[in-house]
Amino acid sequence: MARTLAMFTDTSLCIGCRACQVACKQWNELPAEQPEWTGSYQNHATFTDKTYRLVRFMEKPQPNGELAWLLMSDVCKHCAQAGCLDACPTGAIYRTEFGTVNINQDVCNGCRYCVSSCPFGVVSFNHDTGRANKCTFCNDRIHNGLGPACAKTCPTDSIQFGFRDELVPKAQKRVAALKELGYKDAQLYGADSNGPLGGLNAFFLLLDRPAAYALPEKPLLPQRNVKVDSLLAVGSALLVGVGALVAFRERGGATKDGGNA
Amino acid sequence: MLKSPDWHLLIVWYFFLGGIAGGAYFTAAIADNFGGPRDKSVIRIGYVLALLLIGLCGILLILDLGTPSRFMNMMLHFKFWDPMSIGAWMLGVFGLFAFVSSVLSLVGGEGVAPARRAVSLVGTIAGFFIAAYTGVLLSATALPLWREARLMGALFLASGASTGMAAISLLLYLAGESAGEGFKKVKRADRYAIMFEILVLAAFVVLLGGAAGPLVTGQLAPLFWGGLVAVGLVLPLLVDLTGLKVPGAIPAALVLVGGFILRYVIVMANA
Amino acid sequence: MTTNLIDIQHADVIMCTNNMAENHPVGFQWVMKAKERGAKVIHVDPRFTRTSAVSDVHVPLRSGTNIAFFGGLMSYAIQNNLYFKDYVVSFTNASFLIDPAFKTPTDLGGLFEGLEQTGKGGTDPHVAQTYNKTSWKYQLDAEGNPKRDLTLQDPNCVFQLLKRHYSRYTPEMVERICGIPKAKFVEVAKLYCGTSGREKTGTITYALNLTQHTNGVQNIRALCMLQLLLGNIGRPGGGVTALRGHANVQGATDLEVLYHELPGYLPMPLRDAHPDLKTYLEKETPKGGFWVNRPKFMVSLLKAFYGSSATKDNEFGYQWLPKRASADAYSHQHTFVDMYKGKIKGFFCDGQNPAVGGPNAKLARAAMQKLDWLVVVDIFNTETAEVWKAPGTNPKDVKTEVFFVPAAPAAEKDGSLTNTMRLIQWHEKSVNPPGDVQTDAQFVCTLAHRLQKMYAGSKKDRDKGFLAAGFNYGEKPDHPDMELVLKEVNGFATEEIADKDGKVLYKKGQAIASFAQLTDDGKTASGCWIYTGVINEGPDGKLVNKANAHKPGDEKDYLAHGWGFAWPANRRILYNRASADAAGKPWSEKKKLIWWDPEAPGQTPDKMGKWVGLDVPDFNAFLAPDAKNGDKPFIMRADLVGAFFGPLNDGPFPEHYEPIESPTRNLLSKQQNNPVAKIWSVPDKRNDLAPMGSKDYPYVITTYRLTEHHLSGVMSRYLPMLAELFESHFAEISHELAKELGIVNGDKVTVSTPRGKIVAKAMVTHRLKPFMIDGKTVHEIGVPWHWGYNGIAKGDITNDLSATVADPTVYIQETKAFMCNVKKGEV
Repeated sequence: MARTLAMFTDTSLCIGCRACQVACKQWNELPAEQPEWTGSYQNHATFTDKTYRLVRFMEKPQPNGELAWLLMSDVCKHCAQAGCLDACPTGAIYRTEFGTVNINQDVCNGCRYCVSSCPFGVVSFNHDTGRANKCTFCNDRIHNGLGPACAKTCPTDSIQFGFRDELVPKAQKRVAALKELGYKDAQLYGADSNGPLGGLNAFFLLLDRPAAYALPEKPLLPQRNVKVDSLLAVGSALLVGVGALVAFRERGGATKDGGNA
Repeated sequence: MLKSPDWHLLIVWYFFLGGIAGGAYFTAAIADNFGGPRDKSVIRIGYVLALLLIGLCGILLILDLGTPSRFMNMMLHFKFWDPMSIGAWMLGVFGLFAFVSSVLSLVGGEGVAPARRAVSLVGTIAGFFIAAYTGVLLSATALPLWREARLMGALFLASGASTGMAAISLLLYLAGESAGEGFKKVKRADRYAIMFEILVLAAFVVLLGGAAGPLVTGQLAPLFWGGLVAVGLVLPLLVDLTGLKVPGAIPAALVLVGGFILRYVIVMANA
Repeated sequence: MTTNLIDIQHADVIMCTNNMAENHPVGFQWVMKAKERGAKVIHVDPRFTRTSAVSDVHVPLRSGTNIAFFGGLMSYAIQNNLYFKDYVVSFTNASFLIDPAFKTPTDLGGLFEGLEQTGKGGTDPHVAQTYNKTSWKYQLDAEGNPKRDLTLQDPNCVFQLLKRHYSRYTPEMVERICGIPKAKFVEVAKLYCGTSGREKTGTITYALNLTQHTNGVQNIRALCMLQLLLGNIGRPGGGVTALRGHANVQGATDLEVLYHELPGYLPMPLRDAHPDLKTYLEKETPKGGFWVNRPKFMVSLLKAFYGSSATKDNEFGYQWLPKRASADAYSHQHTFVDMYKGKIKGFFCDGQNPAVGGPNAKLARAAMQKLDWLVVVDIFNTETAEVWKAPGTNPKDVKTEVFFVPAAPAAEKDGSLTNTMRLIQWHEKSVNPPGDVQTDAQFVCTLAHRLQKMYAGSKKDRDKGFLAAGFNYGEKPDHPDMELVLKEVNGFATEEIADKDGKVLYKKGQAIASFAQLTDDGKTASGCWIYTGVINEGPDGKLVNKANAHKPGDEKDYLAHGWGFAWPANRRILYNRASADAAGKPWSEKKKLIWWDPEAPGQTPDKMGKWVGLDVPDFNAFLAPDAKNGDKPFIMRADLVGAFFGPLNDGPFPEHYEPIESPTRNLLSKQQNNPVAKIWSVPDKRNDLAPMGSKDYPYVITTYRLTEHHLSGVMSRYLPMLAELFESHFAEISHELAKELGIVNGDKVTVSTPRGKIVAKAMVTHRLKPFMIDGKTVHEIGVPWHWGYNGIAKGDITNDLSATVADPTVYIQETKAFMCNVKKGEV
């Protein structure tokens, strides 16, 4: 396995220009969609099968009367423990040698289980092709020595691309610097490989709580439920079995409530 | 910002029919192993129903795929921790059991009974699996209503057993065997299953807490309370317990309606 | 722009008065770099925008009150002794004495000395007025030099006049006029005035937010004066960051695709004032400063236009140039008013979309529908090209014959773009234009050749110039070689040029290396003198195009002198002599740029001393600080110093006046509007104005652009991926106003002015807040102006709302502040 690649999105540097969103579409040849009224500059409301990068705009009035307009370029997190990958029954979703998570369009059969298994609402179903898709981390580019199109186009270096083990310390330094400048809520999201989902290969610097960016505070791997829930189902099966056994076991003789029949 | 898998009626039907298949097979297997000769109809109907329904389930699942022609891709891959993956495999396994059991129940007579019974005991595990795994599959997603429901598998299993029994009793009734001992036994077994299901459902709602909103207070609430709880569970149980004189088909039909509504509200809450 | 975008990273404070992150996102990377270093960013804007989102302080200011704000800052700096005194005394005209007859608005109720009536009222709502500037001048000594008081105490010195003029601009007054709470104003004043002095610098950015007002030029003057006062011009991290509206506006300005100037900022001759070349040069050549060279630039330009036909005997073809009838004639708005009045019959519209993009666009469309013919050259079928079927028009009523000529965008042609920081950058064609599409140069040259053929042999005087003009660049007449075009712009020798000793400097046809070598005798030709040096022959005789140079900046050369070519002479920061003190030493080690090195070899072997440093000196490199004028950095000005006192058409100091349409009386004086603003009289009620405080039009409206769309949308609304980014046309409305009007986010609203109305969706937002103006609540709304009736993303035309009014110096429109009404639904 090659060194893990990562994208670091520093929201403190994001100016919401949406060049990343358009560069992504252009490089990946994703067609335009009918826009919808979202009430703000944001379009679309969520990731779609044709929008892999999405700049979010969130107005947040502050207690001191000032306003914060949180701008964030959101993307597939390429989780180290990826719900979509674990959910995929066909093996279409796979991890590349760079640690990114990709959907093989030649294998996916469109069961859509991955769509509901993504803790971030990233994976989308494409009704035209009948397959699921999402950000590929510009798989073709990284296999040819280039960074993702979004990072390449970002004018303010809000999106940075590189090796994860180099980007994380850089991000940590940036948080420290921001805290010194008075951004007390500055924090990394997904940088910690011991954290939720084993860390995110697309990680973020946020200026507020994750919830302010519509991100789960503690994203969980959906498959964590499988064991317990299965055991409970087994218990349920035993009880139902006992019930049925009781009902059927009285061979031959008249039943107590036989008269009811 | 979480996304729905866009599962609709095909999946509702699959969950519902898969539950019946599993439940019917299990009921037949119990009757086969622990019942008497008078349960023959129950056994035969149970196995054959399971076989027919599981075949139908496979078709429903394939139709729901974005790219149906690639349904075999699921068979090229096996993930023991992934409900969808094992589910796909177990569909086949269970189909095989249902087929063998059906054949052995239809031909061969008493000579093959020991073999049939042995097969059915193992097949019951697959039957239970088919009834329950869809619940676990939903709980292994990121969507709050589903992921917070620890008892989804247990609930689907109880419902599968109950609807399986109801389906058998309905068929017995239609076959004019409602006076038989088998019919009574199935009804009795179903009574326990319904009671158990009510308990599991209550625990399910309590455990869900706030996440149960879409079911208990949202748009689907009338269907949940009226369709599932009242019509699908309480009413047939009351009919049964009070000994109300109604055609035997009616409570069975109510249970089936309830079972369908259970899958419907849970799937559609995130559609 | 006096500075360089890269240099913004060295600013300690950046005050964006425009929405830089939104409209100049690529340049904004340097603001973010500065911020990463710990610089503070102030954003002054009526709206909270993408720039505010990443700024440290957002200062909401009612549109049209920038001078009150800048005046307040200048006053704060002066009253609190925060100005950079050494810089001000040495490098500006603060110490110069002014004619005692000169009076300021402090004494004259809002007017400067010398206002005169020039026209009749008639149908014009405003009587035309102009300033007689006879008293707006320096006191001169016996030798004709301005008198100075270096202590800045003389009551007639510029500094004292300035101090008195702005003493009225108190924080309280700023609060009443601009609606900026006093505490916030003081916070910002302290922060920005902190850039004064040797160790710190700050830069101020602006764009059309300041220009598009009836006092637009004065807005910018006010900004520049504040920078002079704090000693921020010519220094690293300082300067005036003028941001141009798109990739090549700077280039278009340099080459003067304008009505009032010829390439290289030479005035376009006036019919009456400039009857011949001699008079023109006499009147337009100052006695001091670098513009004493104007005759060399003008003659070289005429030689570039007319080639060998331009001779000394025919004034180098001067008489072939068209002359302006008056100062405002042929300005954009003037042209459309004339067109509407039927005076203009034909119109070439090349790469512009006035049906959407200009002020009072409804008038512009009506005007174009009266033309006999209209040629539109553009990359898409624009609203202008289809003006004959604009909404509300019956095509049968439009007799205009329209010719649409498809054009090639930048990627389909070779050429250069000059960006906002005077940086000329070359681009090479990446694909051939499709079908019959031609590049602009092809189109112009082909058309010229055909016309020259048609008019060949004409004996009429008016045709001579056109027939003499050259349109040949390279071997294929219809495929001009763009590097040869650049060479003509750069300048070349029209005959062999030798020095005093007979040594050949240039062979005939060779490119000139520096504008210092241009001559006024016809031996050189140069299409735009400021570009001289951009392309030269290398030792092998092949052209070396410096605009195509690609050496990025590094630690040794952070200004990246090897990337492109910045006019003039590849200087990256203008007036950089001011980065050193009068004695030639850097003001501070941290902020050094160029300095006088007395040890360096001088101009001749017997002399020592030279200006050296990190940039090309914008100064005579061998002029010692202690030599005459060796301490005067502002070489483009006749008096060589930065001007606090700078006579424009509307006064030597910027004074706050309300926009032509305003919600309030002028709280500073009884003079409501700029007394010499231009207001056109247009028939058919097409330029009606809302009176001050009108109940029918109670809300301030400002118009602007978005990152995702480009101007009138020709380069964005036709592209699916960009059209997708906004659902529809919208109006940004505060929660407070929305509540008053019962509007919820996403409702359709009708925005109207006396000129027109549009329907858009309401975007109800916290990013706009009502202003408290003199104790009364004033609502302001914001409406982007990108949409039109063609393309993929369609919407009503915001510019239908604005008026045909202008500032008196360059006649720019007032589209950043006017009045409107807002009603829920489609009314």
